[in-house]
Amino acid sequence: MRQSQIRYLGLVAAALLLVAACGSTTGGTASPSAKVVKVGLVTDIGGLNDKSFNHLADVGLEKAKVDFHIQGDVTESHTGGDYIPNLTHYAQLNYDLVIGVGFLMQQAVGTVAGQFPTVKFAIIDGVGTDAKGNDLKLPNVVSLVFKEQDAGAMVGVIAGMMEKDKLTPGKTNVISAVGGVSIPPVNHYIAGYKWAATMEDPGIKVLVGYSNDFTDPAKCQSVAKAQIAAKSEVVFQVAGGCGLGALQAAGQAKLFSIGVDADQGTADPSVIASALKKVDVATYTAIQSVVNGTFQSGALTFSIVNGGAGYQLDNFPGGALPADIQTEVDSVMAKIKAGTLTPPDTIPAG
Amino acid sequence: MTVIGDILRLLTTADLWQAALAASVLLLLPALGGVISERSGVVNIAMEGMMLTGAFFGVVADLAWQNVWLATLVAIVAGGAMALIHAVVSIRFRADQIVSGIAINIFAAGMTVFLVRRIYGVQDIGHVGPSELLPNLSIPVLDQIPFVGQVFFQQNVVVYIALFLLVLVQVVLFRTRLGLRIRAVGEHPHAADTAGINVYWIRYGAVITSGLLSGLAGAFLAIGISNTFVPNMTDGRGYIALAAMIFGKWTPLGAFLACLIFGLGEAIYANNSTIHVSQYLLSMLPYILVLVVLTGVIGRSNPPAADGIPYVPGAE
Repeated sequence: MRQSQIRYLGLVAAALLLVAACGSTTGGTASPSAKVVKVGLVTDIGGLNDKSFNHLADVGLEKAKVDFHIQGDVTESHTGGDYIPNLTHYAQLNYDLVIGVGFLMQQAVGTVAGQFPTVKFAIIDGVGTDAKGNDLKLPNVVSLVFKEQDAGAMVGVIAGMMEKDKLTPGKTNVISAVGGVSIPPVNHYIAGYKWAATMEDPGIKVLVGYSNDFTDPAKCQSVAKAQIAAKSEVVFQVAGGCGLGALQAAGQAKLFSIGVDADQGTADPSVIASALKKVDVATYTAIQSVVNGTFQSGALTFSIVNGGAGYQLDNFPGGALPADIQTEVDSVMAKIKAGTLTPPDTIPAG
Repeated sequence: MTVIGDILRLLTTADLWQAALAASVLLLLPALGGVISERSGVVNIAMEGMMLTGAFFGVVADLAWQNVWLATLVAIVAGGAMALIHAVVSIRFRADQIVSGIAINIFAAGMTVFLVRRIYGVQDIGHVGPSELLPNLSIPVLDQIPFVGQVFFQQNVVVYIALFLLVLVQVVLFRTRLGLRIRAVGEHPHAADTAGINVYWIRYGAVITSGLLSGLAGAFLAIGISNTFVPNMTDGRGYIALAAMIFGKWTPLGAFLACLIFGLGEAIYANNSTIHVSQYLLSMLPYILVLVVLTGVIGRSNPPAADGIPYVPGAE
């Protein structure tokens, strides 16, 4: 009696899991026709609604769907264990291009791309690696990488100039960044931010903290609150969904914050600007290369130079940057484009 | 040794303790629920799922009705509804309580993600955010006391409620007839039954109460602290509450002490921008503390005798 009830429960749990799994596959499964290019997009655990790079990858895919009349399907991953099955699913169906979104999927893309040498793969923010993290340099994988430090530098100039011009309430000369986890894509942003702020205002103090999380807003909020208690007046979030909590912490303290990856101006009134990583441009470019038959393995780098990184002004007090800050932002951007200034990709000491 | 100096300096700031208390209350509510449920003899590892359900429906209700109190009520009821499932499965059908708890946790995680998609499309509900939030309340006069005022009297309204509930649960469990009945049912249900106590109703009540408390914690997380719903946002807090309950030897005050240690650890970790040591090391701190205290100070902790054993009348 008892045994059968346990088994019944197990069945219920399995059925529920199945429902959850099915609910996450979006996009149509149109009947395959000979000429239509098929693109499969697999998100990382952040999910499509992260208002950040998974979301932007989807935006790029949608734009490509309209422009190139391709078939585009999306699968969301809920755990790290979903990456390989989700990628394999599209590869087995002989999709023309399978896109993995995010650094966290490096090894999964490396594994699956090795098993399906005739299918083309693209990975955002990483390369296809083996279990030890070595780049496999597979001929069917293109890496879409970003110079996040370019975007970080632009918002760093704004934050640094605000302190230098004493536009913040406390004039403490302290700003900060909340990172998710200390991994290269996160630290690139922070490196550019700190480098540029220090360049504009040599006396500035830049606090750098991590939440060890990309999804739980409460964690980033407490890290940001601690930074605000240590006199920070501008908080730059580099932690995806978790970072929404950092933006709110700045808002509650009537201070300023900076969004990341996508335009986060509507996330909180305190967001003065966002550092942009144009994953949509990168995704679109990769799909375009497959459609045009110009696909090449290796790395495609997106930076300020080719419009793949930049900044967006949001709820800056008064609606526009003061003239001197705007001039400085434009000048730094021009210098980075010209190659006379190069933001570092590791966080400067001090 | 500047690290230890940094931490000691932090421990003297009211900011740190204020944050620690708020973080520990988030664990205290589900831990209290766990204490009540297990004292009555029903193992409850489903606080995580109940809390997540509460968080989700709290945000949905807040967006729908723009009334934070109504939303909190909905969150509490949603937590209670999940608990009712656990109660029916483990009391009425006498199924394995661990399995039922796991099923509820997985179900809650899947259901909330599924419903986010269904109700809000692929738009980011977290980004929309609830329209109204549970307020922070400063108690007049008392909040002016140096240090203590900031720590205890400048908090979110839920913190006051939770501290009141802590005292209430402690008193009810150990100083009232109802508490005696709950404990009797958890220790020796057959004797309790003989004495005329309805074992089933006490257990149903206790399990559902644990869901109500977890639901309130979910509301605090989603519309008090984070002001957003993000899939899986409870992030294991229900399990940490479970650990706090065991650490506290199934007593409310003991569980609160454990929650304080975890909360303090979280609050110290949040300062990793100014403490110059590996943040990973810092994040281990509360767990190391608990291991040390568990092995050195607390000693054996025994669950209620009938914990996890379904009650079958006359089957002793």
